[in-house]
Amino acid sequence: MLSRVALRSAAARQSTALVARGSATDVSGVRDEKNFPRPVRAVEPGKVRLGFIPEEWFQFFHSKTGVTGPYTFGVGLTTYLFSKEIYVMEHEYYTGLSLLIMVAVAAKKFGPSLAAWLDKEVDAIESDWNSSRVESIKALEDAVEAEKKAQWRAQGQELLIEAKKENVLLQLEAAYRERLMNAYSEVKRRLDYQLEKSNVERRLAQRQMVDWIVSNVTKAITPDQEKQTLDRCIADLAALAARK
Amino acid sequence: MGFGDYPKEYNPAVHGPYDPARYYGKPDTPFGQVKINELGSWLARRNKSPQAIAGAFSRAWWRWQHKYVQPKKVGIAPFFQLLVGSMTFFYVINYGKMKHHRNYKYH
Repeated sequence: MLSRVALRSAAARQSTALVARGSATDVSGVRDEKNFPRPVRAVEPGKVRLGFIPEEWFQFFHSKTGVTGPYTFGVGLTTYLFSKEIYVMEHEYYTGLSLLIMVAVAAKKFGPSLAAWLDKEVDAIESDWNSSRVESIKALEDAVEAEKKAQWRAQGQELLIEAKKENVLLQLEAAYRERLMNAYSEVKRRLDYQLEKSNVERRLAQRQMVDWIVSNVTKAITPDQEKQTLDRCIADLAALAARK
Repeated sequence: MGFGDYPKEYNPAVHGPYDPARYYGKPDTPFGQVKINELGSWLARRNKSPQAIAGAFSRAWWRWQHKYVQPKKVGIAPFFQLLVGSMTFFYVINYGKMKHHRNYKYH
């Protein structure tokens, strides 16, 4: 804590030493963005009339003399200078006049197309210098976009995994039910077998018993008994016939 | 303050990047708003040292540069302005010789 205070006081001493270069009134050392904004390069140059006279000089006349005032002033001043020969029209003056006409015609005739071409070249150079920056910004933005998409896809993966888990659970359920069914049918098969077996055994035993009883009974009937029975039958028939 | 130094009043921590067209001292009344009777005291307040005069010319030069030469879509105006200015300058310095070419004796 103490060491931090010591550091801070040392920094404060340094900053005051720096500020001492500035004026006595500006000791705050805080960046003043309002009164001293960062200078920027203008795009359009200041307006001029007649090729070189600043627009502001004409505006200065407007409130006092109207729109034609500055031209009247200019013409009046030159007339005065010519008339009193304060401006001396020696031989170079006429050379200058012809040069002025040629330059003015050339500027009027070739100026606009040249300006358009130069503006195009300036724009091309500027965009060329800007391109790497613009491209890297675009690449980073694309990367951010791709990252967002990848995150979105990862969320989709979570959904997919959820669905797969559900699917596995369904498969487990199906396998469980299938085995349950299997066990049921196996048990039923064994029980059916037992039932069938007991049925068959009972049927065989019954038949055996019936055969045995019938054969014993038929073996027990003697020829006398048979004869008696026949006689008895004939007698009965005769009795029946007599009753008719 | 030697050659190539920033003005005394310029403080990078407060003023940010240096603008050569800007006066960093305490601003006085602009010349356009000075009344005629205040003109004497206004002129008396000016710093008339050679450095200050050179600084004023430098600021004017840079103000002209920023307004007419440095913009992106600059036209032919600054070249015409330089041309007219140099013509006027050379006319003035040669005026003593030009005077002998006058055509009329009396005006």
